[in-house]
Amino acid sequence: MLLARLKAGGPAIAKQGILVAFIVFMITFSLMSDRFLSADNIMSVFRQSAIIGVMALGVTIVVIGGNLDLSVGSMLSFATVLVVDLHDKIGPELAIPVMVLATLCLGAINGFLIGILRLNSLIVTLGMLSAIQGLVLIYSGGQNVDIVDQTGTWFAIFGRGAMFGIATPIIIFLGLALVFHVIMTTMPFGRRVHAVGGNPTASIFSGIPRSRVVFMTYLISALCVAIAAIILGSRVMGSQNNVGLGYELQVLAAVILGGTSLLGGSGSILRTVLGVLMLAFIQNGLILMGQPYYTQWLVTWVVIIVAVWLDVAAKRGRLFSPIA
Amino acid sequence: MTNSMRLLLASCGTLALASAATADTVRIGITQNNVGIDSYQTTYERAFIEAAEANPNVDVIVLDAGGDVARQISQMQDLIQQNVDAIIIWPTDGQALVPAVRNAHREGIPVIVTNSNIAEAGMEFIAAFSGPNNIQQGIYSAEMMCEALDGEGQIVQITGMPGYTTAIERQQGFDDRLAELCPGVTQLDIQPGDWNRERAQRTMETFLTRFDQIDGVYSGDDNMGVGALNAAIAAGRAEGMVFIGATNFAVGYDAMARGEYWGSVYQSPVDDARAALQTALDVLAGEDVPKLNYFDTPKITQENMHEFDRPVF
Repeated sequence: MLLARLKAGGPAIAKQGILVAFIVFMITFSLMSDRFLSADNIMSVFRQSAIIGVMALGVTIVVIGGNLDLSVGSMLSFATVLVVDLHDKIGPELAIPVMVLATLCLGAINGFLIGILRLNSLIVTLGMLSAIQGLVLIYSGGQNVDIVDQTGTWFAIFGRGAMFGIATPIIIFLGLALVFHVIMTTMPFGRRVHAVGGNPTASIFSGIPRSRVVFMTYLISALCVAIAAIILGSRVMGSQNNVGLGYELQVLAAVILGGTSLLGGSGSILRTVLGVLMLAFIQNGLILMGQPYYTQWLVTWVVIIVAVWLDVAAKRGRLFSPIA
Repeated sequence: MTNSMRLLLASCGTLALASAATADTVRIGITQNNVGIDSYQTTYERAFIEAAEANPNVDVIVLDAGGDVARQISQMQDLIQQNVDAIIIWPTDGQALVPAVRNAHREGIPVIVTNSNIAEAGMEFIAAFSGPNNIQQGIYSAEMMCEALDGEGQIVQITGMPGYTTAIERQQGFDDRLAELCPGVTQLDIQPGDWNRERAQRTMETFLTRFDQIDGVYSGDDNMGVGALNAAIAAGRAEGMVFIGATNFAVGYDAMARGEYWGSVYQSPVDDARAALQTALDVLAGEDVPKLNYFDTPKITQENMHEFDRPVF
């Protein structure tokens, strides 16, 4: 009967499995902790999710284009170490552009290997994950880097500042999400990414420059990492060599939770935002309830798998696969 | 066995004895955990090589496993093949390295474990352990917390990566000592910060939302402690809050100098490296070396910090 209802609900509601899951989840948690839906806590969770969130926006575009990007974790370590280290050496006004350019170069390497040479993205970005971590260690010699004057620098605005009463990381995250949403839904580039990810062969016959499109998706992903690094560096005012360790999986989890297909061709920026927020609220909510960390690991992945299942079920109108 | 073969063997034996007698230098091989992954290990390696170079009677073979258990096992085999006089190992995994350590022991090569100890099952095969006493560090932190709060208050704890021996032992030492020494101090919650400053900052932000009154924060290292401090400052609640850490980092030292951070435990990678080499030399000299050799990791607070150099990491 649930199946029938899922079908009867029509495609509009059926496609919003993640939204329904999100609302159900938020109501459940707010019943268990009276702090959960306080304005302070909501602001705090939005702010915390900005770093993973900005990275997830870029990765969503890569995944819609039919590829993966697992290198974002160590790329974040690279970018953060670089911008923090250069901050005290050449000043933030130079450190930021130098770091952005260097990070874009890494994105260009990904884009070249995957877009132009057509190598498998899983292999390339997994390799880059390790190679870039090596690069960070060579650059820093294993030393932590710190910004000495934490209160006097305008660099603090990106991670610690606020505009119109809203923390800057939130403005950057949601603003960027809006821009990417418009690009992906209304502009030719967005349609090309969908086409390349959905059916590479057809896209070539349609005259879409596939190599260039894939190359661009990796540049965008690297740009997002650079922006995330600015927020992270400014928020923490220092960086370890492996600060982004494991972030690639959290990013990928958010993208999957948002319902973007790992096969490429379909996905949505706004739903990735929901995925990011949901993961952040789960971690926050469980700590608010005083649950130990292993429940967070367990619950996070149970929620992801259930959400993905509901999403798939909603799309095909039944809970189980029609093929036995 | 033919006579000629016996002769050959005998002469080989004499030759080996002769070379051992003339060479008064000892060859020590070290296989490290993961140099370069953090400043501590990087500084440790540098200090180890310097200490070895300062001693004309020591020849060292310095290897690094890059955090990889399989690579460390083959490095152990290589060192056994090279027939070094002693092996120092910083285990990538206390359990998985036990067979490799047993092999070296069987070949008559003494093994000295450095920094983090091998699993219980391997203890009988090692000559000695040299490193910090993490339980003692937890105890020191609990004593400082108790003193800073005058025995009364509510605190939260941010631990290292779940499952890591260092994290477990520090928490154990802290929890036990605090309960015993300071029953008036209650722990509101314990959550991991994964040795990551940003993660610790997030955990602390959530604690601040959840609890209206937090008097103290104990973090498994200063890197996380400074993350917690950042969160409290941003929330405008750092005033009067006591921050205690462990493994004093440069950022923790600086925060202490600014009066924002109460105290920590001073653990020098240079002392760690020197202690490992010295323990190996003592073992080779035939001295009666205890199984567990802890180097001193004293308390460092705002009051006595001038006695310590600013940490290099």
